[in-house]
Amino acid sequence: MTREKVFNGVQGIFRDIFDEDDLMISDTTSSDEIEDWDSLNHINLVSAIEKEFEIRFSLGELMTLKDVGAMVDLMLEKIK
Amino acid sequence: MNEYKFSDIKVGLTESFDTKIDISMMDKFLDISNDTNPLHIDENYAKKQGFANRVVYGLLTSSFYSTLVGVYLPGKYCILQGIDIQFSNPVYIDDMLNISGKVIYINEAYKQIEIKAVITNQDNKKVSKATIKVGVMDE
Repeated sequence: MTREKVFNGVQGIFRDIFDEDDLMISDTTSSDEIEDWDSLNHINLVSAIEKEFEIRFSLGELMTLKDVGAMVDLMLEKIK
Repeated sequence: MNEYKFSDIKVGLTESFDTKIDISMMDKFLDISNDTNPLHIDENYAKKQGFANRVVYGLLTSSFYSTLVGVYLPGKYCILQGIDIQFSNPVYIDDMLNISGKVIYINEAYKQIEIKAVITNQDNKKVSKATIKVGVMDE
């Protein structure tokens, strides 16, 4: 799966979780930039990504992520 | 009360219980919520609207989703984090309800589980369904 395809899938999940159809994310998007990105929505994001891409994260992996780009890179490693 | 710990929970784990809706529940819910919509408190109005009798509050029946997770699945170590409910049929006083839930997903990193839950009446008709997200606390 290409990075672009993974990124677009993640963008769709963000739009769904945050109820914003035109939400645009980038590699540098972080929780500081999305007002509703609180701890519960963070869990919702991770759960939705795990289910959509059929991958699993450990807590340690998730704790090191700084932004969307890092998440997408980690996803690509797992999808390979 | 069940005391499932996170490590005990597997996808497919199912729990259920039965309860009967009585008139005192309606009175208590009215007292708490102050929801005076006539559909719930006026039999004649409800019948005029095409219902068999006054309709039990949807959020009264949904309160049993709280019981499902807080008492049965996982029980003691539950912390309710989200619930999405859809209503499909009316509930009436004296209806016998079965509330059941099945674990459909486990988020290992954050110790959250998702439960697909359904409430059916004495005729086995689905009155509502819900997707419930709960955290499972440590002992």
